[in-house]
Amino acid sequence: MDQLLPPEIVEAGRTFPAALAACSDLDALLRLKGAFVGREASHATRLMELLKTAPKEQKRELGAAINGLKQQWEEGLKARQAELEAAKRKLGALAATWDPALPPPQPPCGALHPLNRLMDRLVDVFRPLGFHVEEGPEVETEAHNFDGLNIPEDHPAKASSDTFYLAAHPELLLRTHTSPVQVRTLLRVTPELTARGGIRFLAPGRVYRKDEIDPTHSPMFHQVEGMLVGHGIGMQHLKGTLEYALRALFGPDTEIRLRPSYFPFVEPGCEVDVSCPLCGAQGCRVCKGSGWVEILGAGLIHPNVLTYAGIDPNEWSGWAFGMGVERMAMMLSQTPDLRLFFENDQRFLKAMGGLD
Amino acid sequence: MWIERKVLAQEIPAAAALDTRQLCEVLAALGFPVDGVASLEGTESLDVDITANRGDAMSHRGIARELAAKLQQPLAPIATGVVPEGEALVQVRLEAEACPIYATAVLELGEGITPEAVQSFLRALEASPKRLSAVDASNELLLRYGHPTHAFDADAIRGAVSVRWAKAGETLATLDGVTRTLTERDLVIADEAGPIALAGVMGGDGTKVTEATRRVLLESAWFEPKVVRATARRHSLHTDASHRFGRGADPAMVRVARDLLVARLQAWCQAKLIGAWTAGAVPAPSAPVELGLALLARVAGEAVPLAAAQEALSRLGCVVTVAGDRLRVTPPSWRHDLSIAEDLAEEVLRLRGYEHIPSVLPPMEGPPEHLAPGYLQRQRVARRLAHLGFHQTVTYGFVSPEADALFASPDNPAAGRTLANPLGYEYSVLRASLLPSLKATAEQNLRQGSRQVQLFELAPTYRSTPSGPREQVTLATVWGGLLGGEDYLSPARAVLEADLAGLARDLALPGLPAIHRLSDGLFGFEIELDALPRLQDRIIPVFRPFSRFPTVERDLSLLVDLGQSYAALNQAMAAALPTDSLLELRCVDVFRHKSLPEGQQAWLLRMRFQADRTLVGDEVDGWVAAALAAAESLGAKLRA
Repeated sequence: MDQLLPPEIVEAGRTFPAALAACSDLDALLRLKGAFVGREASHATRLMELLKTAPKEQKRELGAAINGLKQQWEEGLKARQAELEAAKRKLGALAATWDPALPPPQPPCGALHPLNRLMDRLVDVFRPLGFHVEEGPEVETEAHNFDGLNIPEDHPAKASSDTFYLAAHPELLLRTHTSPVQVRTLLRVTPELTARGGIRFLAPGRVYRKDEIDPTHSPMFHQVEGMLVGHGIGMQHLKGTLEYALRALFGPDTEIRLRPSYFPFVEPGCEVDVSCPLCGAQGCRVCKGSGWVEILGAGLIHPNVLTYAGIDPNEWSGWAFGMGVERMAMMLSQTPDLRLFFENDQRFLKAMGGLD
Repeated sequence: MWIERKVLAQEIPAAAALDTRQLCEVLAALGFPVDGVASLEGTESLDVDITANRGDAMSHRGIARELAAKLQQPLAPIATGVVPEGEALVQVRLEAEACPIYATAVLELGEGITPEAVQSFLRALEASPKRLSAVDASNELLLRYGHPTHAFDADAIRGAVSVRWAKAGETLATLDGVTRTLTERDLVIADEAGPIALAGVMGGDGTKVTEATRRVLLESAWFEPKVVRATARRHSLHTDASHRFGRGADPAMVRVARDLLVARLQAWCQAKLIGAWTAGAVPAPSAPVELGLALLARVAGEAVPLAAAQEALSRLGCVVTVAGDRLRVTPPSWRHDLSIAEDLAEEVLRLRGYEHIPSVLPPMEGPPEHLAPGYLQRQRVARRLAHLGFHQTVTYGFVSPEADALFASPDNPAAGRTLANPLGYEYSVLRASLLPSLKATAEQNLRQGSRQVQLFELAPTYRSTPSGPREQVTLATVWGGLLGGEDYLSPARAVLEADLAGLARDLALPGLPAIHRLSDGLFGFEIELDALPRLQDRIIPVFRPFSRFPTVERDLSLLVDLGQSYAALNQAMAAALPTDSLLELRCVDVFRHKSLPEGQQAWLLRMRFQADRTLVGDEVDGWVAAALAAAESLGAKLRA
């Protein structure tokens, strides 16, 4: 059969499969298609001209041969085109997707300060018991900071070695505890105490004492004060409230222990320990092997404090507590150095603060 | 204070049977926690924490008394020899009420030194023996029985002795070698030549006992606690004696301590008693305190039988009688802290043990109060900023005058905010602004290698007023470093002022706050929290209908001068547009390039329109033309 065809076409036909395979993209395939089956100057057009001029008796045989060749080429081209198009689609699809394991853009994430978080948590814990938040100024009068709290005129805490005073206003100082908020709040609510059915509140805030800065001391720190005034309030109510709150804070198995102590603004006074939340009261470094950690000071409000605010201590009574926030934060986090809380390194804040 | 176990057991033999842990627990339950245990001189000592109201417990005898009451075990009797009192050898005049009783004795010293056992006891309690019997005996008595005494060199005393107020300007060289100028509020022991001791605080150098002393005059007295405290503070002279007297010594111990001192000197150095006598008398006990059954039950949380309360208080040395449903209680001479019914209730509870107090939630008597809007506002702002990537800081409220001056306004002078006694110069001014502290913190974070620093603080700042510093809760934020560049989708760029402007807008600040460039690439702003819009009272705002017709968007690219004010241009264009149909007019791109005419930039302004009908193209074209005309009136040109 091949002797009927021009030798160069025979040669082209023989190399067609290799040429087809060599087309790596659609452009190359288009060029190959033009050369073999294009409408002008292609092998196919030349064969059709050859058929026209062929002797009649050869036409039938030649025609069949030409058709076979053309069909073979067209099918080959079509299949290769499908292949190349599929490959292109696949690349396109790949180009439109990113490996989700690539580090993605990170939504921003800051943090609340751990001390604020802890104070917020305490507020959350006391809210269901009907406590709200009272606040007061950090610059206080001696009267609110000391006198209204049954602190004697000559108490050593009043000395300028312990308390910061304002140069231009000798009667003003930086409050040494959150307790003046008690005085302010009681003075404010006294006229309506009966109508409102007593009062119960927390007073979180910053306080100042003249301590040199070192790993366990800071001239500024935080306290949370709690106070409740009602009818017939006794030590059992202090114990009940603190048991509820400290269990909410440290877990349902937490035990609390009251020990007698002394603060001028309460009587009776006590220190409150919790079973060590870090070791489950088994004894560890934090609780110094005792299983107990001192957590706050408390007591029944001294009648003089109520009287100062104009409240009759024969009708009303109450309890109060004060808690050191840094101390608790250091205990819970086992942060070795108090100064880290005021250094505000973002790494510390991110790790310790969180968002909620 | 350090309590040595062997000596404690001499005061209360039952304590010897307790191991150290048990003893510590009993003491803690009584209100005397043990801070530490030390072994010195072959014996164990406890570091007992004694609260300031319990001067009576600041001795081995005092702690033993507490244990005896709790354990219901007897105290050992105090072994005093009989010291016969006679005529005063030296006249002692009590000229001030602050000293109601003064017992004394004169002895001639013999040979001998402080016994080794006593020296060892003193060393175990970190008190160094002086090897002068009179001094060591006085120190030992103080630690053991809690009553301060003093020995003068009797031959150095000139004439009669008086306890009197100092005369202003009088001086006294005290034992520590300091010559002190006295005031009329200092109580002194004086001879006819002048003061020889600061009463209850420290003796004088001129009459001190030395190795050459042959005769001593002993002092055992009682001084008013307030007076001693004031003198100790006035002269910054805090001694063991002032510590005890300042917290209230036991007036009934005055003669006993003198007798004990005499007996020790007789035993230790064959001292010969020349004479002993007492001026004044033990003051009458204060009036009895009443404790009602109802108050006791209220404090204790349950009914406590009167008999049980009476028994407990008696164990503490009170004299108790029952009058109906009340106890009439006369506290013992050593307890100055029992002055109201609550004090007595505490004592009853303390002896029963606080572990017996029931646990009860207090009943609600009224509705709970809401959280204040200001408090909620701060919580909301803090959480929003934290979610936006900011870290909340807590910095000191005082800064250096230089740091303060960076952002304090001229009408807020630092003088009104300066501390009289700061920790140091760098902490001396209550800050007018949070920015100096945040700037320093941010720079420190950047130095520590932070790529981006985002900080905020919510704290008071202070403004000087004639009545003192006024506090204003303030929010400050700082932002600096590099944004993005840490993943394949976010290109890196420096933080810009515009980022803070966006933040201000996120917080719904009315208007743009002053954005400070704190240092290269570090920006911040500060606002008073009151400037933020208050939280809505409504949970959900009132519904406002919105149009469902399509919006039409048009862009204008304008060439404007580099100095063009955006606010002015925006305002002028908005004024030319129909307010009821203009949804939004904003610049969405700024283009600055050398291909533009020099001194000019291109702003792409986007307008969005919507109405309660379908807008027609011609109508919108007219509005856009009007807006362009308004822009052109300010010198803008349509960019080709």
